[in-house]
Amino acid sequence: MSIVAIGATTSRYISIIKEMHIYFNGKVVIVHKRAIVIEAFPIAGEKLDESMAEKVKQEVAGVENAVPMLFMYGEDALQPLPTNLTIGIPFGNWSVLVGPTPLKPRGHWPSADSIENEVVVGSSLSDQYNLTVGTKIKIEDYDLKVAGVLDTSSALLSRLIIASLELVQDIYGYGVAGSNWVNLIVVEPVKGVNIEELAERIEEAEIGNINALTEEERTHHAQPLINNIETWTLGIRSVLFILSMIFVTTVAMMNISERRRDFATLDAIGAPKSFVFKMVITETGLMGLFGGVAGILLGSVAAIFLVSFFTGIPISLFFPGIFDITPPYLMTEILASTVTVTCIAGVIPSIAATRMRIAEVLRAEY
Amino acid sequence: MNIRTVDLTRKFRVGSSEITAVDRVNFEVDGAKFIAIVGPSGSGKSTLLNLIGLNDYPTSGKIFIDNRDASLFSGSKRRKIRLFRIGFVFQTFNLLPTLDALENVELPMSLAGKSQKEQREKAVRLLQNVGLGDRLYHRPKELSIGEMQRVAIARALANDSEVVIADEPTGELDSKTAKEIIGLLFDINRKRKTAVIVATHDEKVVEVADTLYTVRDGKLWLEQ
Repeated sequence: MSIVAIGATTSRYISIIKEMHIYFNGKVVIVHKRAIVIEAFPIAGEKLDESMAEKVKQEVAGVENAVPMLFMYGEDALQPLPTNLTIGIPFGNWSVLVGPTPLKPRGHWPSADSIENEVVVGSSLSDQYNLTVGTKIKIEDYDLKVAGVLDTSSALLSRLIIASLELVQDIYGYGVAGSNWVNLIVVEPVKGVNIEELAERIEEAEIGNINALTEEERTHHAQPLINNIETWTLGIRSVLFILSMIFVTTVAMMNISERRRDFATLDAIGAPKSFVFKMVITETGLMGLFGGVAGILLGSVAAIFLVSFFTGIPISLFFPGIFDITPPYLMTEILASTVTVTCIAGVIPSIAATRMRIAEVLRAEY
Repeated sequence: MNIRTVDLTRKFRVGSSEITAVDRVNFEVDGAKFIAIVGPSGSGKSTLLNLIGLNDYPTSGKIFIDNRDASLFSGSKRRKIRLFRIGFVFQTFNLLPTLDALENVELPMSLAGKSQKEQREKAVRLLQNVGLGDRLYHRPKELSIGEMQRVAIARALANDSEVVIADEPTGELDSKTAKEIIGLLFDINRKRKTAVIVATHDEKVVEVADTLYTVRDGKLWLEQ
C-alpha cells in the first residue's frame, strides 16, 4: 500500500512536470539567465523587461511572433505546494498557451474592450470553488470576473487562471515606475526556420541576460529534477519491497510452522517435494496478488489524500480521475511486483515446508 | 510386500543425554498378516513404525524392502514406496483440515497421477466401505473423531497399499468406536489381503492379531 501511495503521489507530480513539456512545442522560450525553470515555466529567479519581446521581433531574423508572459504561483501559506497558477498573456494571444483547448459553453476570452477585469479559469478551479461565467473572484484585492472556464482535464490548465498580461502585472506588482516585467517570452519562428539556430541568434542578439531555450534544452533542464524524484522514489520503493519481502517470509514461516503437521503428513503419504514447494509458493504468490489488489485500492486512496494534502485540491476532485493518480501501468507494475516479491519471499518457507518430517513433528508434539 | 529389519537402532540426543528409542530390532512382515505391537508410552513403538514405514532413518542397522536395502534408496524412491505401497493411519488422524473427506482420500491418488474420474469413483467407494457414504463433503472439523479415523483409513488404502501401518489408531477413540475401527482394520486385512501393523495399548487389537510383539525400552519381543 505504501509503495502504491508513494508511487502514485510521485507519478502525479512527474506527470504534471512531463505535461509541461507539451507546451510551446516548436517554439523558443526566453527566460532570464538566472531563472529556474521546469520545462518552459520559470518558478524562480530574475525577471525580463517586457519590451524585450518587441526587440526580439524586430532584431532577430526568423521570428514570426514573440509573446511576453507572466507566470505566477497562487500564493497560499497553508499549502505546502502551490495549487493555483496565474498566467498573464497579451490580449488575443491565448492560443499560444492553450492551443485549441475550448471554453465551456457561454464563456468568452477576456476582451480589451471590457471595463471589468476578466479572467478565464481552469475546470478544476471552477469545480473546486464553484466558479461559472459571471462569478466574481478576488486576487490580491483585485476584483475579477470569470469570463470563461477552460474545458480541459489537463493537470496544469485545469488549475490555471488566465488573464491579460497587463492585469497580472498590476496584480503582482510587475508593472511599476514605467517598467513592465515578465518572466518568459514565447518566440514563434517563421515557418521553415531552424529552431536551434533561431535560439542561438536570439542569445547572440544582445538583448539582455537571457537564455533562449529550445524544446530539447527545456527537457534537458527538467530531466535532472525528474531523475532525482524517480531515483528517490525507486530507492524508497526498493527498501519497502525488501521490508515487505522480509515480512512475507516471516508470515509464511509462521504459517508453515503452524501447519507443520499438514506438511509432515503430506511427506508421510508420499507427496513429492516439488508438490509441497509449489503449494507454498502458490500460497505466497496469492498472498501477493490479493495483497497487491488491496494495496492498490488503499494506496490509491492514500495517494489521493496525500496529493490533496500537498496541493489543497479537494479529494472529491480527484476521485473521478483516479486513473490519473494511479495509472493502469502503475497498477500492473505493482501487481507484477507484489506477486514476484512474494513468490521470491516464499522460497525459504517452501524449502522449510519440504523438510517437515512426520517422525520429527510427532516427536516434538509428544 | 516384505519388510525386514536387521539390528535396527534409532537413537536421539536430548540435551546432553542419548536415548535409544529402538534398540537392535529384528522384525519381519511377510504376507497379509495382522501384527500388533504393544508397549507402554515412550517404549519406542511409534519410532519403530516410522522406521519401517520409511518415514525416518535408523542410526544403525538395516531395513530391507523386498530384500533390497532401503538405506540405498533415494528420497524420491522412499517417497514412492510410501505413496504406492505403504498406507499410514495416525493416532491423531492427520487429515488436511482444508479438504473435505472426499478430497482427503483423493489426495494420494492425485499425487499418484490418477485421473480425476478414477480418483473420485474410488474415493467414494472407499468412503462408502468405511461407512461414510453420507459424509463425503464434510471437512474434518465437521466429523466425529471416529469418522475422522475412518477417513484416515480410507486414505491409507487409496493407492491399494500392500501394508497399512497404524500408530495407535484407537488411542483417541471411545471403546465402542475403537471396536469398530479395529473391526475395520481386521476386515481390510482379511478381505483385501493387506498386511496391517498396529501399534497399540488396546487389548481388543491383541485379541485379533495374528502376531503379537511387545516393545520395552526399545527392544522388541515376539509374544505369539
